[in-house]
Amino acid sequence: MFEVRSDEPKYAFLWDKESQKKNRYGENIELTEEGNVLRDVSLNINDDDGIGENPNRYKQHGFYFNADNCIGCHACEAACSEKNDNPAHISFRSVGYVEGGTYPDYQRLNISMACNHCDDPVCLKGCPTRAYTKYAEYGAVLQDPDICFGCGYCTWVCPYNAPQLDPIKGEVSKCNMCVDRLEVGLKPSCVSACLGNALEFGVIENIPKNRTEAKAEIPGFPTTDITQPNIRFQQTVPTHREMTRTDGMPLKYHRDDEAGKFVPQLDEKEGRKRHWNWKKLLTSHESAHVIFTLSTQAVLGAFLLFVFSFMPGLEAIAAITSGSLFVPALSIMFVLLTYGLFKLNMHLGKPHRFYRGFNNLKHSPLSREIAGVSAFYTCFMGYVFLSFFSHPITQTFASICAVLGAISGLLGVYYMVKLYQIKARPFWDHWQTATSFGGSLLSLGGALLGLLTVPFTTSTELLPTLALITLVGLAIEIIGHIFHTRDMRKTSSEGVASWYIQTTRFGKSWITRNILLSAALLLSVTISLGSPKLLVASYLWIALFLLVLCAAVISRSLFFVTVIPTTMPGAFFWKNKQFSEHALETGLAEMEQVGVAHEAHHPFKWDELLDTIKTTPLTDMVRQTKDIIFFK
Amino acid sequence: MLFGRKQKNPIKIADKKVDSWTYATCGYCSTGCAIEVGKNEQGEVVGTRGVAGADVNRGKLCVKGIFEHELFKSAGRGNTPLLRASTTEEFQETTWDKAIDHTAAEIKRIQAAYGRDAFAVVSTGQIFTEEFYTLGKVVRGLIGTNNYDGNTTLCMASAVSGYKRSFGSDGPPGCYDDFEHTDCLMAWGSNLPEQHPIIYWRLKEAKEKRNFPLIVIDPRVTMLAQLADIHLPVNPGTDVVLQNALLHVIFAEGLEDEAFIEANTNGIEALKEEVAKYDPTTAYKICGIDEDTIRNVARLYAKAGAAMNIWTMGINQSTHGSDGVVGLNNLSLVTGNIGKPGGTSLSITGQCNAMGTREWSSCSGLPGYRYLENDNDRQEMADFWGIEESFLPKKRGLPQTDIFPAIGTGQIKGLWLVATNPMTSMPNTPRIRKILDKLEFLVVQDAYVDMECTEYAHAFLPAAVWAEKEGVMTNTERRVNMIRQVTEPHGQSKSDFDIFKEIGKRFNSDNKMTFADTVSDTFDEMRELSKGRLVDISGMSHELIEKSRGIQWPYTQDQADKGETPPPGGKRLYTEPGTFSHADGKATLIPLPFIDNNERPDAAFPFWLNSGRLVEHWHTRTRTGKIGNNNKYSPIPFMEINPDAARELGIEHQSYVRCVSRRGDAVVMAMHTQRVAKDAVFIPFHFFDCVNRLTLGLLDPHSRQPAYKQGAIRIEKIKDQQAAAQMSKEMRTY
Repeated sequence: MFEVRSDEPKYAFLWDKESQKKNRYGENIELTEEGNVLRDVSLNINDDDGIGENPNRYKQHGFYFNADNCIGCHACEAACSEKNDNPAHISFRSVGYVEGGTYPDYQRLNISMACNHCDDPVCLKGCPTRAYTKYAEYGAVLQDPDICFGCGYCTWVCPYNAPQLDPIKGEVSKCNMCVDRLEVGLKPSCVSACLGNALEFGVIENIPKNRTEAKAEIPGFPTTDITQPNIRFQQTVPTHREMTRTDGMPLKYHRDDEAGKFVPQLDEKEGRKRHWNWKKLLTSHESAHVIFTLSTQAVLGAFLLFVFSFMPGLEAIAAITSGSLFVPALSIMFVLLTYGLFKLNMHLGKPHRFYRGFNNLKHSPLSREIAGVSAFYTCFMGYVFLSFFSHPITQTFASICAVLGAISGLLGVYYMVKLYQIKARPFWDHWQTATSFGGSLLSLGGALLGLLTVPFTTSTELLPTLALITLVGLAIEIIGHIFHTRDMRKTSSEGVASWYIQTTRFGKSWITRNILLSAALLLSVTISLGSPKLLVASYLWIALFLLVLCAAVISRSLFFVTVIPTTMPGAFFWKNKQFSEHALETGLAEMEQVGVAHEAHHPFKWDELLDTIKTTPLTDMVRQTKDIIFFK
Repeated sequence: MLFGRKQKNPIKIADKKVDSWTYATCGYCSTGCAIEVGKNEQGEVVGTRGVAGADVNRGKLCVKGIFEHELFKSAGRGNTPLLRASTTEEFQETTWDKAIDHTAAEIKRIQAAYGRDAFAVVSTGQIFTEEFYTLGKVVRGLIGTNNYDGNTTLCMASAVSGYKRSFGSDGPPGCYDDFEHTDCLMAWGSNLPEQHPIIYWRLKEAKEKRNFPLIVIDPRVTMLAQLADIHLPVNPGTDVVLQNALLHVIFAEGLEDEAFIEANTNGIEALKEEVAKYDPTTAYKICGIDEDTIRNVARLYAKAGAAMNIWTMGINQSTHGSDGVVGLNNLSLVTGNIGKPGGTSLSITGQCNAMGTREWSSCSGLPGYRYLENDNDRQEMADFWGIEESFLPKKRGLPQTDIFPAIGTGQIKGLWLVATNPMTSMPNTPRIRKILDKLEFLVVQDAYVDMECTEYAHAFLPAAVWAEKEGVMTNTERRVNMIRQVTEPHGQSKSDFDIFKEIGKRFNSDNKMTFADTVSDTFDEMRELSKGRLVDISGMSHELIEKSRGIQWPYTQDQADKGETPPPGGKRLYTEPGTFSHADGKATLIPLPFIDNNERPDAAFPFWLNSGRLVEHWHTRTRTGKIGNNNKYSPIPFMEINPDAARELGIEHQSYVRCVSRRGDAVVMAMHTQRVAKDAVFIPFHFFDCVNRLTLGLLDPHSRQPAYKQGAIRIEKIKDQQAAAQMSKEMRTY
């Protein structure tokens, strides 16, 4: 058990005498009832089997932050990092600020934020590996880095930037509520360390001594309906009507008098000038996602065209399946798909833990996507292999693979859309994600299939068929973009900031994308109406493919690079993405103490994988598999 | 409720497996927080925690203290002594004996050739009191140069000078417990949340228990200014005018404490006559605070049951620094607010042991607040040390800020720097560069070999840092506190105590002076010397200090003999009437005419330049610049500039800009914020080749402290941002 000093100061002890029954979201504060199996078990902290005697052990706890008092001294962050032995680039708690007013009527509002141990932990739901657990003890949401495979999806879904993806270790870690201290009646380290008397902690909804309110709203804090966070605020000192951020995020917060709260608004920090920023656009951490999503959508699209070629109007495609181009085309598609999956897997922090991606089928759209795409990949592999043979039995199996592959592939793409439509990323949380992915399925699928067949065939039917399919795909995507842009520029959320960055920092690339898409659309119309022949057709199709591909790459890269999460405001250096990027670009980050880490290479550790296989008893494997399917 | 996993792995939480905790006092600022440093079974230093039962910090630590244990392993430490004949050569590693022999020989050579005072010593506020005392013995008693001072001239000289002028002696009369009793607190140029966060916490705790008005005087909207009940955004360098105006109102409205003035002070008539000239209407035009506010604040302050003034560098680092301190003392004395709970005039000191150097280092005088100018004091010390009285000078020599110019003009040829980094900390560093280059011999004694002055050094002596050694320090509220040795000195480095003694030996061939073997015995020597002085520590011992978590002086042998346990806090000076340190027991009220000699913004240099500290950094960053969890909050220098001014200059937020003054230029990253006035900027002072390339540092006539906080610059937009980024990066080797 954690050591309590004989002279431990009073302020370090928890203070809750009574608590309410329900929290403001209508959930029970007492998380389990007497006799529940989740009670009276040890937390096994570092294999200590003791059970804490905290009288409120089974009640939801939460941080309390008095924004009027925070002086931004970093003591909470330091105490946290000292206790958890975190290097400079990782921080479970961070202090940022917003500011308002005009000298000398100036106000800085510091905000210290860690994990809010939410009622509805989207991290837990989103994590494909089930590295997260919400404990009945204190309602703490804890994450186990030993399970995590470093995909970082939890960092996408969390609206508060609580989970920290370590670019060096390739794993996530986060605030553990100092449950070891709670077990012995002490407040978390950060709270005990606070020098402004701003941070407090206790059973949720309890208002600390000398404090008057417990609200769930403060300028810069995302809406609570995403996760029902367990944090309460006091902020009684009048704020200015407009509070700005010092970090690079083009956002400010404007007081909505009617709603009585602050809403995010665009802050055009970098003017309206448009830039290219090719390097930033095309070589981000998310490039692996660009390659994966595009290759999967292209191959699945082409595959689906084969599978559905029995339908009227697709006779020309059906003809391919029985022709000599079929096997080479499938083989190339297989290589492409394999490459996409390989890139995705290798971008994980721990690529050798890939098999854990299925662990959370019950809740995680990412898990489902991984399962869907993996099943599609397996079926497609079978389909490709069987296509080398012409025996009726192999044909039958090929058909089974085709049907299963089509179903799993479509499910995979469905969840691919779902996994990006998350509230913490308003730019993605729009139906355009579906039109983009669906559109690419058709446009890239059609264009790819055409590239593999058109130059080598004399079929006159094929060209207009594929051109039409590509055209439909492009049209769907364009419609999505038009509405997305229209909606984002008006939105009162981080979405408008994404729109701003897309049209300024990447403005020229964005315009290029729009021109390429329009050109591709026109060309596909021309091809489908004009029905060019032979050589001309081949050249035109290659041109169309390149247009579609370039548009898709830029488009998808923009999708990933311009998204802005609903995170808390940062400071001028710390937790300022723009400064981190600057430090990486200029080489300042080479100095470890700058607190910005380069992404390390994360190798596929065969030995670790083999070791896991060797040391995991069969019964455990069976249980784990069962848990995946019958998730309770 | 969704809980997730049923099969749970054990929870892993970092466990540093601390096996033993060692008591120490924080080596950063002057707050004097008690720290315990944790070691694991292997003896590795792994953690820090605030000492729960210590009255100063009550278990709390700030961002620097929390990571202070990482100091021992930080980069850039000196491993071995280094020597070179000329600064154009590479350093060669050498033995301690050779390094010390050479250093002593060079000192002797210079003194023989150019006179005793041609070798100067500039020390610090960073090392332990016993070390200061030992250094004083070596320098005053053996080497015998009168050009010996501490870098405390850069931070606390004005407070020292002001206290001496008003009360007859240095020594802050108040304590942190005063927050618990005050009815009105005025903070002058002091930003506690950033500079002294633990003292701020003590203030906050007091204010939450019993609210009282907090008035902050600062041209910048600091965190404390923002939290104040009344913020007076005074024009830079005009505090004295504001003080005079407040006194004007107090006298005009009869709010003074006549009985106290009568019993305790001299000079009331002259003061009244002077402040009569500063009616609020006139004062407003100079200090920028409107007349209603001046009257309001004067009444609030004077009518409070107990009222206190605290201040830091905003007052001290000014051409009116000493006057500003006297002005605050005037306010306190006139309203009877000295020596009573909650009524005081408390300088919030800078360095961890600035007080120790003031009390015991013999820098500006002799140990225990004795004066070179006083015949008895000289005789007493000469007898105690076993030297000739005539060996001691009859007048204080050059303060630090005059030592450097004297090197420039050739009077001084050799310099010994102890734990101080003038290449970053002195004003007008372009001039310091030229000056250091002129030295025939520079010996740098420091924990860090990458400290910028080593560029001009001929000898480098690697020193142990903080709790690699043992000793005491005195904090802002006169609390003597203990640092126990946590770990062995890094590499071959030695404690400053040992280094001083080794050098002393080279000048003590006839053994006329004796040095105690241990630090603890040295403390006993100081104890003897303190008997009957204001700074009486004769009741203390290392053991009792640690046990009491620090003891405020005075604590006398007599009290100890009587079995009086030292109080946990709340000890004040001048609590009895007529006990001030001037000969007649009275304090002096001193009239303060205002002369505006600041470098003011003009058409060519239109911005006020202000500089100051950041919570995450310590002084010249030799320590915090290497600790990621400190440094990351400001890894490169920045400049707060008003967005309205920036817009006119076309300067973007987070872009690099060039600042130019009449001394030099600096590249910083611009931060738009309304925290500063449209005609003012703020740049932190921690960074090498940065703000002090710009500062003028006009000297205060009394304290010789530089006016870092008032100067004029212009700001230029930089077109080639990439080149600027590279330039900025090159200047940050840590």
